[in-house]
Amino acid sequence: MRAQFRSRIRLVLALIVIAAVLIVVRLYFVQIVHGTEYAQKADRQFASGGEGPFDRGAIYFTDKNGANISAATLATGFLVAINPQTLANPEAAYTAISAVASTTLSHDAFIAASAKKSQVHIEIAHHVSDSSGKALNALGIPGVQVLRERWRYYPGNSLAAQTIGIVSYGSGNVLAGQTGLEAKYDGTLERSGDSLYSNFFAELFSNVGNLLVDAKDAREGDVVTTIEPEVETRLEYEIAQLNKRYSSRESGGIIMDPATGAIIAIGSYPSYNANDRQGVNPTLLGNPLVEQVHEFGSIMKPLTMASGLDAGVITPDTTYNDTGCITVNTRKICNWDHKARGVVPMKQVIMQSLNVGASWIATELGQERFRTYFTTMFGQKTGIDLPSEGHALLSNLSTTQQVNFDNMSFGQGIAETPVQMIRALGALANGGVMVQPHLVSAIRLDSGITRQLDWSQKTPVFSATAARETTQMMVEMVDEKLEGGKAIIPTMSVAAKTGTAQLTDGRGGYYSDRWFHSFVGFFPAYNPRFIILLYTDDPKGVQYASETLDSTFLDLVHFLIDYYRIPPDRGVASSIPSTPV
Amino acid sequence: MHNTYPNFRFSLVSACFGTVVILVVVYIALIAVVMSYAVLTVEFSQSVKNDEASVATLEGQYLANVAQIESLDYRTAGYVAPVAKIFVPATSVTALR
Repeated sequence: MRAQFRSRIRLVLALIVIAAVLIVVRLYFVQIVHGTEYAQKADRQFASGGEGPFDRGAIYFTDKNGANISAATLATGFLVAINPQTLANPEAAYTAISAVASTTLSHDAFIAASAKKSQVHIEIAHHVSDSSGKALNALGIPGVQVLRERWRYYPGNSLAAQTIGIVSYGSGNVLAGQTGLEAKYDGTLERSGDSLYSNFFAELFSNVGNLLVDAKDAREGDVVTTIEPEVETRLEYEIAQLNKRYSSRESGGIIMDPATGAIIAIGSYPSYNANDRQGVNPTLLGNPLVEQVHEFGSIMKPLTMASGLDAGVITPDTTYNDTGCITVNTRKICNWDHKARGVVPMKQVIMQSLNVGASWIATELGQERFRTYFTTMFGQKTGIDLPSEGHALLSNLSTTQQVNFDNMSFGQGIAETPVQMIRALGALANGGVMVQPHLVSAIRLDSGITRQLDWSQKTPVFSATAARETTQMMVEMVDEKLEGGKAIIPTMSVAAKTGTAQLTDGRGGYYSDRWFHSFVGFFPAYNPRFIILLYTDDPKGVQYASETLDSTFLDLVHFLIDYYRIPPDRGVASSIPSTPV
Repeated sequence: MHNTYPNFRFSLVSACFGTVVILVVVYIALIAVVMSYAVLTVEFSQSVKNDEASVATLEGQYLANVAQIESLDYRTAGYVAPVAKIFVPATSVTALR
């Protein structure tokens, strides 16, 4: 019995010795044979952290065929850092790094950084390409860490930059959306930093609920916008050309589907390159089309006209005596050319842009009804899905001086954002109903579900008849007056109105020689696919919007007709027609 | 008389020892599985991100080409505006019925 016990003890002892020998041999290989390799590997992992590389959802444009093209996505590459404590040959390391990284430190700065022996991680170059990073890593330079890195990338560079927005460090040390859609949909685009190396079983028992329904699956996803990239490109090109041609302070434009409120293109100039924001004026990071208000001038007249028609105080056949100038509350209001037209029908108010006529309609309408219509149109924010939307300046609506109402009837003394303006004017193109302007049509969740956003809120303002009668006047303006009647498109009805407003001087008055030009138009006029709003702020050397914005508007109209193959809505007989261009 | 049946004597210590050994082995195996799963997931995720980045590069080239075309004056490329546009009237969908 004792002998049997002794043999068992010896057997166990032998097993322990064998295990110990195996461990020692393994340790020899790990620490002596492959020690350097593992040390370098550990060194490279030093700064990788537990959260992994930056991750964030994508923002997509949607082209006319419904295909998605990235507006904001992630680029992958490498970050190069050094560990001064283990960096043996700084000169050789600098030569190798600068050969692959275009944005590395200067030679002197690198040598100074490598001399900081108290530090173990100094970042030298970011955004190193995948191939270059792998090539550098393969060199295995001691003290040089090549770490995987991801960063926000905007394939369109400056395309819709002010709308897409930016990601950067805010007050904390976390990358987050700061402007535009990046900020508005940050909750959808951000990714929670779950560590893949967490104890699966601990998670299993502590978060049973997440196994069934993971809350972040219902929140995290990609954002699909309504912006059409080719239309956006065209709009921004036209806006930039316009701004440069007239040395304007700023120019902008919006193209929207008036029936749904889906914004097809939105842009202003100057803007910035979202991939290279060094030296960018911070004021450009916002979206002026949503945040800034302007007095738009005469493009307000169609709204005054529709209000009068809807209220029943005028009809298209109503006439008034245009004296060229009138005096209201001791203030003089004149037509743009100070000339009297005599007794004229209502459509001349739109076709000849008569301030006296708009004032006459405002008087007929009465202050209370005028206040009601304009508060309905501009009293609320549009609710567009962009941050920092501005409020319209409507203080004159609260007064009782008729001159203020007369001024507002032709777009002075009342200031709105361009988005508010296109929403209100869109009512004329949409049977008198305002829709909700928006940029995002759907959220594509990581769970695989696509959630369509609800933008169906509608605000009736005018009757369909009033909207149609006003539209008819705007169509006649294009066919007979715009560019002296040469702008007519025989196969397409286009409704439009120009606007020229004096700029405020900041002292309660207006400049006599500085202007704000605006232009609105939609087509096909009686079943519109698009409404276009353009403006240019403080153009030099020109007074009227008809001089600055006509060609830009018409270029966009012809482009959209061709690009979307919009069929003619007039002027086409059953036989094959031929239309002069 | 010699006992030909195996001697299975129950020992609480042996049972506990065996259980602990099994649990340790299972625990180590599970950790290995979790770590392998995590590594594979990271590698796959990175692979997907790399592919997405490649697509984004192509999309960037596409958008740059679009911008170049939009800013191109067709007259400098030898094109002229058409003299007239001819529209083909839409055929009624009921024509064949």
